[in-house]
Amino acid sequence: MIGTSKRRGSAVRGGPAVCGGRAARAAGAAGRTLYAVWSRGGGRAALIVIGVWTAVALVSLVWTPWPLLATDGYHTWQAPSPAHPLGTDGTGADVLSWLMAGAATDLAIALLVALVAAVWGTLLIAAMVSRHGALAGTAVVAVDALISIPTVLLALILAVPLGASVAVVVCACGFAYGLNLARIARPAALLAARSAYVESALANGASGMGVLIRHILPNSLPVIAVQLSMSAGTALLAEAGLTYLGVGVPSGVPSWGHSLTTSVRFVTVYPAAVLWPGLVVTVAVVALNLLGDALRDATDPAAVGSAPPADAVEPDGTGEVRDGR
Amino acid sequence: MSKALGAHGTPGATTSSGMTGTAPTDPFAGTDATLNARVRRRRRSGWARTLGVAILAAAIAFAAGFAVGRTGPGGTAPEHAGTAADTVVVGLKLAPVNLDIRRQSGNAVMQLLIGNVYEGLVGRDSHNRVVPAIADSWDIAKDGLAYTFHLRQGLTFSNGDVLDATDVVWSIRQMIERQYYDYEQLDGVTGVEALDDHTVRLTLDTPNANLLWYLSARPGLVFDQDAHYDPKTQAVGSGPYLVSDFVPNDSVTLTANPNYTGRNPAKTHTVVVRYLTDANAAVNALTSGAVQVLSPIDEQLAAPLKNDPAYTIRAGNGSDKYVLAMNNRRAPFTDKRVRQAIRYAIDHKQIIAARGGADQPLGGPIPAVDPGYRDLTGLYPHDVAKAQELMRQAGYGPDHHLTTTLTYANTYGTELGDQLRSQLAAIWIDLKIDYVEFSTWLTDVHQNADYDLSLVDHAESHDFEQWADPTYYYGYDNPRVQELYRKAMAATDEKTTDRLLAQAARQVSEDAAADWLFAYRVTTATAQGVSGFAADLSQSFMPLWNLTYVRPAEGGAA
Repeated sequence: MIGTSKRRGSAVRGGPAVCGGRAARAAGAAGRTLYAVWSRGGGRAALIVIGVWTAVALVSLVWTPWPLLATDGYHTWQAPSPAHPLGTDGTGADVLSWLMAGAATDLAIALLVALVAAVWGTLLIAAMVSRHGALAGTAVVAVDALISIPTVLLALILAVPLGASVAVVVCACGFAYGLNLARIARPAALLAARSAYVESALANGASGMGVLIRHILPNSLPVIAVQLSMSAGTALLAEAGLTYLGVGVPSGVPSWGHSLTTSVRFVTVYPAAVLWPGLVVTVAVVALNLLGDALRDATDPAAVGSAPPADAVEPDGTGEVRDGR
Repeated sequence: MSKALGAHGTPGATTSSGMTGTAPTDPFAGTDATLNARVRRRRRSGWARTLGVAILAAAIAFAAGFAVGRTGPGGTAPEHAGTAADTVVVGLKLAPVNLDIRRQSGNAVMQLLIGNVYEGLVGRDSHNRVVPAIADSWDIAKDGLAYTFHLRQGLTFSNGDVLDATDVVWSIRQMIERQYYDYEQLDGVTGVEALDDHTVRLTLDTPNANLLWYLSARPGLVFDQDAHYDPKTQAVGSGPYLVSDFVPNDSVTLTANPNYTGRNPAKTHTVVVRYLTDANAAVNALTSGAVQVLSPIDEQLAAPLKNDPAYTIRAGNGSDKYVLAMNNRRAPFTDKRVRQAIRYAIDHKQIIAARGGADQPLGGPIPAVDPGYRDLTGLYPHDVAKAQELMRQAGYGPDHHLTTTLTYANTYGTELGDQLRSQLAAIWIDLKIDYVEFSTWLTDVHQNADYDLSLVDHAESHDFEQWADPTYYYGYDNPRVQELYRKAMAATDEKTTDRLLAQAARQVSEDAAADWLFAYRVTTATAQGVSGFAADLSQSFMPLWNLTYVRPAEGGAA
């Protein structure tokens, strides 16, 4: 039921007749979507985890149980104790403090990657659904070609000028996930771009950019939101992997990947040390993936059975646009 | 290693880790060394059939490994129990890029070949002292300008050629003329001549107290001038072992030289050296019985084995010095008070404890195995209050922090940098850490001296010269030290050299030219029944002739 109302909301937004109050409507739609996500089991779990994560990240900016610089060489690899609830690492630093501070870094990385992917993906979508056949054709081929470059390779190349830094993770992941995003959102965007109301808007003198922002993006938003949520989760895994390779988060900056990297070498001797960062990364990635699933369910008309079955193109987009007609 | 590259490791060696993942799945890594040998022999006869056998052997080895868990090397055939094995497998970390010891840099090739496959005019013992090898004895002129070596008689190369004075003269002349690796250690040698078939004389224009020691490494090696072979993959030497198989980045098989008439005949017929770059894979190879000696073993990974009677864990003395270099030419490290403050602020014992406790504190530039060593750890004891006072005098304080960068190679792990940042924060130093590839470190820091603070393992022995060379990347320029070093090298008796070097080393340490974090001691693990493996200095010299392995009685190790 919730899904249906959301669908109507976005359908109205997509309609050519709507001119005023868009911001308010959009806010309302976002609120409804959030509620729809919350009302699903997986979505609720995801929102709780992400809420706790955000809270911990904010707290860590002003307070951690131990200062991050506190090391104690005489008490390395300690088991959990009241003083160190998750034990200590190879320098004798408090694992909990580093994981808390890592939450802030990883939250920033997830958000930045999602942002870069969104901007880059949107640009690509605009090019791919362009009315200039040559541009659109080139863009499609370019995306198909670039998507074959592995993210790790890209990060290793970027690390040459940038060194080990957060920028490497953000640029490499943002670039790769933007390509994925564009490829997956293109059918929905294309249907919107070729729809009658876009024809009519253009006939009324709307600019290409205006059409993109008012009609094409809103109709592709469900696909984009799901994809971005998944990208944020994958970005966490990429951060851990790239940091392990030495091209991710630099030494000394707390991150979950850093905590994993420093403990994984000794997994046979101190298996508990690798457990905590591993667990945190897993929980966060699962939460983001669940959020993606819940977002798709909440915005997918096919899931509530009132829309026609999906045909040649992506079901999310199809439902929206057909309804808009 | 050469003067120009005094740091541990080589770019080639650090990039050769591509085989890491294959190490534990090596199909020839059976638990039984004799089975290994058989599999290897078959391997040359027919590939297709061998592959099947190898896969089967690997499957059995894995199954056995899972079934018996960590039984150590006990899982062998009963008839071998209590008898000496004809094959011993030694696990090492860094593989030589190739076997061309005259042109290839790095310790790995020296460790493998010197004393085993090639012999020098003189050799070294595990206390880093010069001992007879090809030369039975030698005389040194009173002015230190002539060395006369009396060669052992009846020596041959592994191809049967006779080894006499002409080979020695040819080898040393080639070294100098062709500028083979480390040739500059023979600076000052003006003549090499054969007085007769078994006497060789070296003449110098200036005395060199290190010459004999240098001759125990690359510059003194003797090659057969009539032999034709590819030195990158083969070796014709006069040592107790022959290279019978060389698989780059994986393994080297040494078999006893049947023509050997030297001082140190091989006690074990076959020694297989396997290169295990991944620390965890290396420990698994030891506990599964695939190797009987592992050097180095990660000290923290070795912890669970320390109480296991199936293994002996030893830390060996060496010449590795973990040096915290301070750029003496760049502010604020031109200020002695800042350098001193850093030395007082570092808690060396805590750093050693965090690493597992085997390393030794080191208060100056000369390690315990070298001439001129004195215990200088008392010069700068851990004293944060004193360090803060010095920083205040230098103009720093709680409101005026010193921000500086520590640049070091990522092969050393992040822990050291994290600990230093933590310890130096107490004296208002905000330490940034630039964690770079070893090749980057070599260019930026070692070559161009573009750094504030740096950290590296100076692994070489007899390398005090770097403190007497103001162009070296430390930028340390003290004429008194340079004069003392010059005199020490010109001295013709060991005691004078030792005394002068000790004075110079004390001066360097008092000046706080750098900080010496610790003397790294390599941890070696051997399986029960292994003897004759010298843990000391094993990373640059690893004589294998004395190595034996007696399989423990069945059930003893389980």
